[in-house]
Amino acid sequence: MLVITCPYCQEAREEEEFSYAGEAYIARPAVPEEVDDATWGDYVFHRKNPRGWHWEQWQHVAGCRKVFAVKRHTVSYEIAGSWTLADGKALYEEEQA
Amino acid sequence: MPKQGFQPFMESPLHHFKLDAEAQPRRADGRIWCNELPHLGYAVLRGDTAEAGFAQLVQQVTGLALPLKAGAVSQGPQGVLMWTSPDEWLLVSHRQRLADWTAQLDAGFAAQQLFAQTVDSSGGLTLAWLSGTEHITVLRHLGVYDFESIPLGHMVSTILGKATVQVIRLDSDGVFVLFRRSFADYVWRLLRRAAQPYGFAVCQLEARSDHPLFAQLAAPRPSLILA
Repeated sequence: MLVITCPYCQEAREEEEFSYAGEAYIARPAVPEEVDDATWGDYVFHRKNPRGWHWEQWQHVAGCRKVFAVKRHTVSYEIAGSWTLADGKALYEEEQA
Repeated sequence: MPKQGFQPFMESPLHHFKLDAEAQPRRADGRIWCNELPHLGYAVLRGDTAEAGFAQLVQQVTGLALPLKAGAVSQGPQGVLMWTSPDEWLLVSHRQRLADWTAQLDAGFAAQQLFAQTVDSSGGLTLAWLSGTEHITVLRHLGVYDFESIPLGHMVSTILGKATVQVIRLDSDGVFVLFRRSFADYVWRLLRRAAQPYGFAVCQLEARSDHPLFAQLAAPRPSLILA
Protein backbone atom coordinates (compact mmCIF):
# COMPACT_ATOMS: atom_id res chain seq x y z
CA MET A 1 0.00 0.00 0.00
CA LEU A 2 1.29 3.43 -0.89
CA VAL A 3 1.62 6.12 1.73
CA ILE A 4 1.06 9.45 0.04
CA THR A 5 1.59 12.85 1.58
CA CYS A 6 -1.18 15.28 0.74
CA PRO A 7 0.34 18.73 0.23
CA TYR A 8 -2.90 20.38 1.32
CA CYS A 9 -3.60 18.30 4.45
CA GLN A 10 0.19 18.21 5.09
CA GLU A 11 0.00 14.67 6.36
CA ALA A 12 1.03 11.23 5.15
CA ARG A 13 -2.09 9.19 4.50
CA GLU A 14 -2.83 5.69 3.27
CA GLU A 15 -3.54 5.01 -0.39
CA GLU A 16 -7.11 4.03 0.54
CA GLU A 17 -7.98 7.71 0.96
CA PHE A 18 -6.80 8.66 -2.52
CA SER A 19 -7.93 8.13 -6.05
CA TYR A 20 -5.57 7.93 -9.03
CA ALA A 21 -6.19 10.71 -11.50
CA GLY A 22 -3.89 9.84 -14.39
CA GLU A 23 -0.66 11.21 -15.77
CA ALA A 24 0.20 14.75 -14.76
CA TYR A 25 1.01 17.74 -16.95
CA ILE A 26 -0.39 16.57 -20.27
CA ALA A 27 -0.22 19.68 -22.43
CA ARG A 28 -3.44 20.38 -24.29
CA PRO A 29 -2.87 21.72 -27.82
CA ALA A 30 -3.26 25.49 -27.61
CA VAL A 31 -5.45 25.73 -30.71
CA PRO A 32 -7.32 22.41 -30.97
CA GLU A 33 -8.97 23.32 -34.30
CA GLU A 34 -5.65 23.61 -36.05
CA VAL A 35 -3.90 20.40 -34.97
CA ASP A 36 -4.02 17.26 -37.09
CA ASP A 37 -5.77 14.07 -35.99
CA ALA A 38 -2.54 12.37 -35.00
CA THR A 39 -1.59 15.14 -32.57
CA TRP A 40 -5.09 15.27 -31.12
CA GLY A 41 -5.12 11.48 -30.80
CA ASP A 42 -1.82 11.62 -28.93
CA TYR A 43 -3.24 14.20 -26.56
CA VAL A 44 -6.43 12.27 -25.89
CA PHE A 45 -5.21 8.66 -25.81
CA HIS A 46 -1.45 8.27 -25.70
CA ARG A 47 0.28 8.15 -22.34
CA LYS A 48 3.97 7.83 -21.49
CA ASN A 49 3.63 4.65 -19.41
CA PRO A 50 7.31 4.75 -18.42
CA ARG A 51 9.36 2.17 -16.62
CA GLY A 52 10.82 4.41 -13.95
CA TRP A 53 9.92 7.78 -12.54
CA HIS A 54 6.42 8.91 -13.44
CA TRP A 55 4.63 12.17 -12.72
CA GLU A 56 1.04 11.45 -11.88
CA GLN A 57 -2.02 13.06 -10.34
CA TRP A 58 -3.74 11.82 -7.23
CA GLN A 59 -6.92 13.11 -5.67
CA HIS A 60 -7.43 13.09 -1.91
CA VAL A 61 -11.04 12.00 -2.23
CA ALA A 62 -11.58 11.10 1.41
CA GLY A 63 -9.91 14.26 2.70
CA CYS A 64 -9.62 17.68 1.11
CA ARG A 65 -10.73 16.41 -2.35
CA LYS A 66 -7.88 18.30 -4.03
CA VAL A 67 -5.87 16.96 -6.96
CA PHE A 68 -2.09 17.17 -6.65
CA ALA A 69 1.07 15.88 -8.32
CA VAL A 70 3.07 12.86 -7.16
CA LYS A 71 6.37 11.62 -8.58
CA ARG A 72 6.36 7.84 -8.24
CA HIS A 73 8.66 5.09 -9.50
CA THR A 74 6.62 2.56 -11.46
CA VAL A 75 8.93 -0.36 -10.63
CA SER A 76 9.88 0.18 -7.01
CA TYR A 77 6.72 2.19 -6.16
CA GLU A 78 8.98 4.62 -4.34
CA ILE A 79 7.49 8.09 -4.02
CA ALA A 80 9.92 10.97 -4.52
CA GLY A 81 7.50 13.59 -3.29
CA SER A 82 4.15 15.25 -3.72
CA TRP A 83 3.37 18.83 -4.60
CA THR A 84 0.44 21.00 -5.47
CA LEU A 85 -0.06 21.00 -9.24
CA ALA A 86 1.38 24.52 -9.49
CA ASP A 87 4.48 23.78 -7.40
CA GLY A 88 5.12 20.45 -9.10
CA LYS A 89 4.92 21.90 -12.58
CA ALA A 90 8.09 23.96 -12.12
CA LEU A 91 10.02 20.86 -11.01
CA TYR A 92 8.53 18.78 -13.80
CA GLU A 93 9.51 21.31 -16.46
CA GLU A 94 12.99 21.60 -14.99
CA GLU A 95 13.34 17.82 -15.25
CA GLN A 96 12.02 17.64 -18.80
CA ALA A 97 14.28 20.45 -20.02
CA MET B 1 -56.04 7.98 5.92
CA PRO B 2 -56.35 11.01 8.20
CA LYS B 3 -57.66 14.14 6.58
CA GLN B 4 -54.96 16.46 7.88
CA GLY B 5 -53.20 16.71 4.54
CA PHE B 6 -49.47 16.71 3.97
CA GLN B 7 -47.57 17.28 7.19
CA PRO B 8 -43.83 17.01 6.58
CA PHE B 9 -41.60 16.40 9.57
CA MET B 10 -37.90 15.81 10.07
CA GLU B 11 -36.69 12.35 10.77
CA SER B 12 -33.17 11.44 11.81
CA PRO B 13 -31.50 8.98 9.42
CA LEU B 14 -31.11 6.67 12.44
CA HIS B 15 -34.71 6.99 13.65
CA HIS B 16 -35.39 3.31 12.98
CA PHE B 17 -32.90 2.32 15.70
CA LYS B 18 -35.11 4.10 18.26
CA LEU B 19 -32.05 5.44 20.09
CA ASP B 20 -34.14 7.55 22.47
CA ALA B 21 -35.80 4.45 23.89
CA GLU B 22 -32.46 2.73 24.40
CA ALA B 23 -30.60 5.71 25.88
CA GLN B 24 -29.36 5.66 29.48
CA PRO B 25 -27.23 8.06 31.52
CA ARG B 26 -23.55 7.70 30.68
CA ARG B 27 -21.42 5.76 33.18
CA ALA B 28 -17.66 5.20 33.33
CA ASP B 29 -17.89 1.41 33.03
CA GLY B 30 -15.44 0.81 30.17
CA ARG B 31 -18.18 0.46 27.60
CA ILE B 32 -18.47 2.47 24.39
CA TRP B 33 -21.09 5.15 24.83
CA CYS B 34 -22.55 6.48 21.66
CA ASN B 35 -25.51 8.47 20.38
CA GLU B 36 -26.55 10.52 17.43
CA LEU B 37 -26.90 14.30 17.60
CA PRO B 38 -29.87 14.61 15.29
CA HIS B 39 -31.13 17.53 13.25
CA LEU B 40 -28.15 19.84 13.53
CA GLY B 41 -27.56 22.41 10.81
CA TYR B 42 -24.61 22.00 8.44
CA ALA B 43 -23.40 24.40 5.79
CA VAL B 44 -20.38 24.31 3.50
CA LEU B 45 -18.61 27.64 3.07
CA ARG B 46 -16.50 28.09 0.00
CA GLY B 47 -14.29 31.09 -0.46
CA ASP B 48 -10.86 32.43 -1.15
CA THR B 49 -8.78 33.38 1.88
CA ALA B 50 -6.78 35.74 -0.34
CA GLU B 51 -9.85 37.96 -0.51
CA ALA B 52 -9.63 40.31 2.44
CA GLY B 53 -13.30 40.51 3.37
CA PHE B 54 -14.04 36.78 3.44
CA ALA B 55 -12.53 35.69 6.77
CA GLN B 56 -13.63 38.96 8.32
CA LEU B 57 -17.24 38.51 7.27
CA VAL B 58 -17.36 34.90 8.47
CA GLN B 59 -15.99 35.95 11.85
CA GLN B 60 -18.38 38.87 12.08
CA VAL B 61 -21.49 36.79 11.28
CA THR B 62 -20.72 33.56 13.13
CA GLY B 63 -18.37 34.76 15.85
CA LEU B 64 -16.00 31.96 14.82
CA ALA B 65 -12.51 32.60 13.46
CA LEU B 66 -11.93 31.03 10.05
CA PRO B 67 -9.48 28.15 10.68
CA LEU B 68 -6.61 28.38 8.20
CA LYS B 69 -4.50 25.42 9.28
CA ALA B 70 -5.20 21.97 7.85
CA GLY B 71 -7.70 20.12 10.04
CA ALA B 72 -8.18 22.96 12.51
CA VAL B 73 -11.55 23.48 14.15
CA SER B 74 -12.75 26.76 15.60
CA GLN B 75 -15.39 26.47 18.26
CA GLY B 76 -17.65 28.72 20.24
CA PRO B 77 -20.84 28.45 22.28
CA GLN B 78 -22.90 28.83 19.12
CA GLY B 79 -21.28 26.22 16.92
CA VAL B 80 -18.24 24.89 15.17
CA LEU B 81 -16.36 25.88 12.01
CA MET B 82 -14.06 23.24 10.53
CA TRP B 83 -11.34 23.34 7.89
CA THR B 84 -12.15 20.71 5.26
CA SER B 85 -10.06 21.94 2.35
CA PRO B 86 -7.92 25.03 1.58
CA ASP B 87 -11.00 26.76 0.16
CA GLU B 88 -13.80 24.93 2.00
CA TRP B 89 -15.10 24.97 5.54
CA LEU B 90 -17.95 23.20 7.28
CA LEU B 91 -20.14 25.17 9.64
CA VAL B 92 -22.18 23.24 12.21
CA SER B 93 -24.74 24.88 14.44
CA HIS B 94 -28.35 24.84 15.51
CA ARG B 95 -30.51 24.44 12.44
CA GLN B 96 -32.39 27.70 12.77
CA ARG B 97 -29.31 29.72 13.65
CA LEU B 98 -27.48 28.23 10.69
CA ALA B 99 -30.25 29.29 8.35
CA ASP B 100 -29.95 32.86 9.69
CA TRP B 101 -26.16 32.79 9.34
CA THR B 102 -26.16 31.51 5.76
CA ALA B 103 -28.66 34.19 4.75
CA GLN B 104 -26.45 36.88 6.32
CA LEU B 105 -23.30 35.42 4.78
CA ASP B 106 -24.84 35.22 1.31
CA ALA B 107 -26.00 38.83 1.60
CA GLY B 108 -22.51 39.85 2.75
CA PHE B 109 -20.78 37.96 -0.07
CA ALA B 110 -23.07 39.63 -2.60
CA ALA B 111 -22.62 43.11 -1.08
CA GLN B 112 -18.82 42.82 -1.07
CA GLN B 113 -18.74 40.98 -4.41
CA LEU B 114 -16.71 38.14 -2.91
CA PHE B 115 -16.08 34.95 -4.84
CA ALA B 116 -17.66 32.86 -2.11
CA GLN B 117 -20.80 30.87 -1.40
CA THR B 118 -22.63 28.91 1.25
CA VAL B 119 -24.32 25.59 0.61
CA ASP B 120 -26.76 24.27 3.18
CA SER B 121 -26.30 20.52 3.49
CA SER B 122 -28.27 20.03 6.71
CA GLY B 123 -30.36 17.30 5.12
CA GLY B 124 -27.31 15.36 3.99
CA LEU B 125 -25.21 14.85 7.10
CA THR B 126 -25.46 13.61 10.64
CA LEU B 127 -23.22 13.43 13.68
CA ALA B 128 -22.52 10.70 16.22
CA TRP B 129 -20.87 11.10 19.62
CA LEU B 130 -18.51 8.30 20.54
CA SER B 131 -16.99 8.09 24.01
CA GLY B 132 -15.69 5.62 26.55
CA THR B 133 -12.15 4.54 27.38
CA GLU B 134 -11.86 2.37 24.26
CA HIS B 135 -13.45 4.72 21.75
CA ILE B 136 -10.19 5.20 19.86
CA THR B 137 -9.73 1.43 19.64
CA VAL B 138 -13.12 1.15 17.96
CA LEU B 139 -12.05 3.62 15.30
CA ARG B 140 -8.76 1.81 14.85
CA HIS B 141 -10.66 -1.39 14.10
CA LEU B 142 -12.39 0.38 11.23
CA GLY B 143 -9.97 2.82 9.67
CA VAL B 144 -6.31 3.19 8.77
CA TYR B 145 -5.76 6.65 10.24
CA ASP B 146 -3.72 7.08 13.39
CA PHE B 147 -6.77 8.21 15.37
CA GLU B 148 -5.08 8.73 18.72
CA SER B 149 -2.88 11.39 17.13
CA ILE B 150 -5.73 13.83 16.44
CA PRO B 151 -4.98 16.88 18.62
CA LEU B 152 -7.71 18.61 20.59
CA GLY B 153 -9.58 21.08 18.44
CA HIS B 154 -8.80 19.23 15.23
CA MET B 155 -10.68 17.09 12.78
CA VAL B 156 -9.58 14.53 10.25
CA SER B 157 -11.40 13.40 7.15
CA THR B 158 -10.75 9.75 6.43
CA ILE B 159 -12.34 6.39 5.66
CA LEU B 160 -14.07 3.98 8.05
CA GLY B 161 -14.96 0.71 6.35
CA LYS B 162 -15.06 2.37 2.89
CA ALA B 163 -17.32 5.22 4.04
CA THR B 164 -15.92 8.75 4.18
CA VAL B 165 -16.25 10.24 7.66
CA GLN B 166 -14.90 13.20 9.54
CA VAL B 167 -13.62 12.50 13.04
CA ILE B 168 -13.71 15.60 15.22
CA ARG B 169 -11.98 15.85 18.57
CA LEU B 170 -13.02 18.80 20.71
CA ASP B 171 -12.08 17.37 24.11
CA SER B 172 -10.41 14.26 25.51
CA ASP B 173 -13.76 12.81 26.56
CA GLY B 174 -14.69 11.42 23.16
CA VAL B 175 -14.93 12.15 19.47
CA PHE B 176 -17.66 13.22 17.10
CA VAL B 177 -18.02 11.21 13.92
CA LEU B 178 -19.63 13.07 11.05
CA PHE B 179 -21.02 11.08 8.15
CA ARG B 180 -23.45 11.29 5.29
CA ARG B 181 -27.13 10.67 5.80
CA SER B 182 -27.11 8.10 3.02
CA PHE B 183 -24.40 6.14 4.85
CA ALA B 184 -25.83 6.68 8.33
CA ASP B 185 -27.36 3.23 8.76
CA TYR B 186 -24.17 1.56 7.53
CA VAL B 187 -21.79 3.66 9.67
CA TRP B 188 -23.95 3.24 12.78
CA ARG B 189 -24.05 -0.54 12.39
CA LEU B 190 -20.32 -0.53 11.72
CA LEU B 191 -19.58 1.42 14.93
CA ARG B 192 -21.95 -0.76 16.92
CA ARG B 193 -20.40 -3.96 15.58
CA ALA B 194 -16.82 -2.78 16.16
CA ALA B 195 -17.72 -1.70 19.71
CA GLN B 196 -19.27 -5.07 20.60
CA PRO B 197 -16.17 -6.59 22.29
CA TYR B 198 -16.05 -3.65 24.71
CA GLY B 199 -19.78 -3.36 25.23
CA PHE B 200 -21.92 -0.87 23.39
CA ALA B 201 -24.43 1.44 24.98
CA VAL B 202 -26.50 4.39 23.86
CA CYS B 203 -26.03 7.40 26.12
CA GLN B 204 -28.52 10.11 26.85
CA LEU B 205 -27.60 13.40 25.26
CA GLU B 206 -27.00 15.99 27.92
CA ALA B 207 -28.04 19.55 27.19
CA ARG B 208 -24.72 21.24 27.96
CA SER B 209 -25.16 24.95 27.41
CA ASP B 210 -21.41 25.64 27.16
CA HIS B 211 -20.60 22.96 24.59
CA PRO B 212 -20.17 23.98 20.93
CA LEU B 213 -22.14 21.00 19.64
CA PHE B 214 -24.28 19.64 22.49
CA ALA B 215 -25.58 23.15 23.15
CA GLN B 216 -27.07 23.17 19.67
CA LEU B 217 -29.49 20.48 20.88
CA ALA B 218 -30.57 22.40 23.95
CA ALA B 219 -33.28 24.23 22.09
CA PRO B 220 -36.39 22.15 21.47
CA ARG B 221 -35.76 19.82 18.57
CA PRO B 222 -37.49 21.12 15.48
CA SER B 223 -38.97 17.71 14.84
CA LEU B 224 -42.09 19.11 13.22
CA ILE B 225 -41.84 21.66 10.46
CA LEU B 226 -45.02 23.67 10.49
CA ALA B 227 -46.10 24.94 7.12
